[in-house]
Amino acid sequence: MKFKYSAITFSLIMGLSACGGSGSDDTAPIVPDDSFSFVATEMITNLTNEVIVDGYADLASKGEALFNATQSLINSTSQADLIAAQAAWKAARQPWEQGESHIFGPVDSLSIDPHLDSWPLNTTDLQTQLNSAVGFDAETIKGWNDDVQGFHTMEYLLFGDGVNDNTKNIAELTTREREYLVALAEVFRDYTKQLDDAWQVSHNPQDTNALPYAELLKQPGTSTNTIYSSQLAVVEELINGMIGIVDEVGNGKIADPFGDSITTADTSKVESQYSWNSLTDFSNNIIGVRNVYRGEYTGSADKQGLIDFVAAADTVLATRIGSEIDDAILKIQAIKGSNDMPFRQAILDVEGRKRVQVAVDALSKLQASLESDMLPLLSDWKTS
Amino acid sequence: MNSKISLLAMTLASVMGLGVVANANAANETDALAKAIAKQEAEIAALKQQLNLLTEQQKSQSAQQQVERDALMSKVETVASEVSTAQDRYSRFSFKSYGTSNYTSDEYFDNVQDTSPERRNRFDLERIVTEFGYQFTDEWSMEVEIEYEHGGTGTSLEYDGFDEFGEFESEVEAGGEVIVEKAEIRYRPSKEFGVKFGNIHLPIGLTSTLHKPNQYLTVLRHKSEAAMLPAVWNENGIGVYGEISDFHYQAQVVSGLNSEYFRTYDWAASGHQKRFEHVNGDDLAFAGRLDYGNFKTGSAVGVAYYYGNTSGNRHKSNKLDVDGAMSIVSVAGAFVEGPWILRGQYLYGTLENTDAITQANKTTPGLRPGNFAQLGSESQSFFVEAGVKLDSWINIPITAFANIDYSNPLMAVETGAATKRFENTWSSVGINYFPIPEIVIKAEGGIHQVAVASIPDTNFFALGVGYQFSL
Repeated sequence: MKFKYSAITFSLIMGLSACGGSGSDDTAPIVPDDSFSFVATEMITNLTNEVIVDGYADLASKGEALFNATQSLINSTSQADLIAAQAAWKAARQPWEQGESHIFGPVDSLSIDPHLDSWPLNTTDLQTQLNSAVGFDAETIKGWNDDVQGFHTMEYLLFGDGVNDNTKNIAELTTREREYLVALAEVFRDYTKQLDDAWQVSHNPQDTNALPYAELLKQPGTSTNTIYSSQLAVVEELINGMIGIVDEVGNGKIADPFGDSITTADTSKVESQYSWNSLTDFSNNIIGVRNVYRGEYTGSADKQGLIDFVAAADTVLATRIGSEIDDAILKIQAIKGSNDMPFRQAILDVEGRKRVQVAVDALSKLQASLESDMLPLLSDWKTS
Repeated sequence: MNSKISLLAMTLASVMGLGVVANANAANETDALAKAIAKQEAEIAALKQQLNLLTEQQKSQSAQQQVERDALMSKVETVASEVSTAQDRYSRFSFKSYGTSNYTSDEYFDNVQDTSPERRNRFDLERIVTEFGYQFTDEWSMEVEIEYEHGGTGTSLEYDGFDEFGEFESEVEAGGEVIVEKAEIRYRPSKEFGVKFGNIHLPIGLTSTLHKPNQYLTVLRHKSEAAMLPAVWNENGIGVYGEISDFHYQAQVVSGLNSEYFRTYDWAASGHQKRFEHVNGDDLAFAGRLDYGNFKTGSAVGVAYYYGNTSGNRHKSNKLDVDGAMSIVSVAGAFVEGPWILRGQYLYGTLENTDAITQANKTTPGLRPGNFAQLGSESQSFFVEAGVKLDSWINIPITAFANIDYSNPLMAVETGAATKRFENTWSSVGINYFPIPEIVIKAEGGIHQVAVASIPDTNFFALGVGYQFSL
């Protein structure tokens, strides 16, 4: 190989010196033109309105529904009421987990994420509150630390400890647990409403004149937009959002409790272990990635998404990433096996661990494509 | 010079000898003789003149020599006086340094659900401190203390086990791991009264007084105080101090704390404003102390009090519209007699409107108190350390000690029940070995207890080496 380079160098030098006399200097190296054009306005507008804003609006309405469902538990002896509340919890979980693919903007800047979804739950402190607190109201709970509120605290109260099953008898629900649950659901509803407002009304609750965050995303580069200077900045944010959640699911949510062997697996780290909702959470995270990539929710009519941006540069790559996303979702769902095994059991099961590994590999592959193939397209994009 | 004189004498002698011979010859030669005599006289006169000239030259030379000697003497005097001035100036300059390096072995929990701890060992070049001082005049002096923590400045990567999955956070140690810990000008006209101003140490917490490695027995400084207050607390301000018989007093008006940085686990400690280039001075605080005896040199008892508002110094001034007045009371005592050492301190603090401060901290964009926003409306901590110098019995300079540190920054909350997760007790025993008086090697082992029944007790072990000296 070295010889080859030397030969090339030699002939180049000879060639150049031969040209020297003629006065011609048209020898600039030919750089292949990888640049591509794509008008992103429609895509950004669509993703903002149809995927992100709709998602948070859905979360806010599911938050309201969850609050109502918990209220009906106050004096109830009906198991159906508890099951309805459990379903309302799972329903609220869906838009939240799907929304983790675009966990930038208000959810980050207003620090709403830890208030809603702190994990792990501090069961010790929770028990202290249940044993000693005089009464529960939303305002008081807002002042407590995040590890005794949000999704997982409600989950624990609704589903039980999740060790052997994810069912709970309404009779086991104590009066204090019911009161605490209602107050938690109220806090939850307030935060989801605040998040929805930040996207649609004003991104800074302290300043009513501030633009809705959706407008900042849709109108980059204007003088009033202090967050996004260009469409490129918006697209970069969207791609990095996808990468962020793929990384978190593969290397955090799944890999951390999974450990490197059955002996180092740690079920205490499994998120949503009380409801056994973990696999649904994880697949929803990647479905959220698909929503941003495709530009529409699964089954909806085609709209512009990041896939159109990628396709403008490389149609083969666009298809490949699309199928890698689908594959990752399927592999996560396949962890449950033929007997509907929950994730916390699967990591302690020899066959289950094999299926988990397959899912982790699919996620790694997807993450590599997003980071190494999709993100670099930004530098070839002719935005004008 | 001598040879010139001899030459002259010889010439005179020969002239006189010739004269005698001439007289003996003829009388008619009188004229010639008179001429010769006149010539000789003229020569003699010329020689006398030369002699006078020489004498005068000699005189002037010796006068010049005297001048030169005088000049030299005056130079010598100047140099001597310069040397003594320099010596005097040098004696007005002081330099001190102390430092510690530690090895610790502790057991850690992965997250709030984890009850099986994992042992981790760590090394830390904890601090190197240099102190420069200068005594301008009998009354005026200054002192600057510069501290290098954990080996210097830069960015650090921290691991937060309490975060969602246990997260790595890269943190710029803003305000620096190189810190000016003190920069004060002092005016002290008398023992009874002095004024100091600039960046001064607050007399709250014994660590501010006893922070050199030979002044406390534990390997690390007292954990109880660090879990509640800024340890070796320094602020900008002015203070008066002095001693009257055995009483030592201090009273200060200083920059206050910023409640934006108050956290569940260490109450007011992280509210110490050192993250930014400027210290917000919208709320000032008062600090005072009265001791009987001297904690630095022996036995003493003392009380201290701190009072200040903490809301005005927030950067986001629109987040909180209520006061956050904080007060701290401290009672401390030391008994140092013969081989015995016994020291203790109790701290109690209150903070108002903690629910509102918690809410403001939780919802300030980018502030990220995370799960540590909740604040104690009351906080307390204490330590007791007891030591005995064994060199009274064996011929090795070793002090054996026992220590208890207790802290509960979340002693009470404004609403609801306070978790006991932050109520910690560290009990330990150990030794201090002084191979030479300036160096101390320490070893300590003990138990760390959290007041939550489900969290098991853990054991810790620490080794440390410290030095201190002053020029």
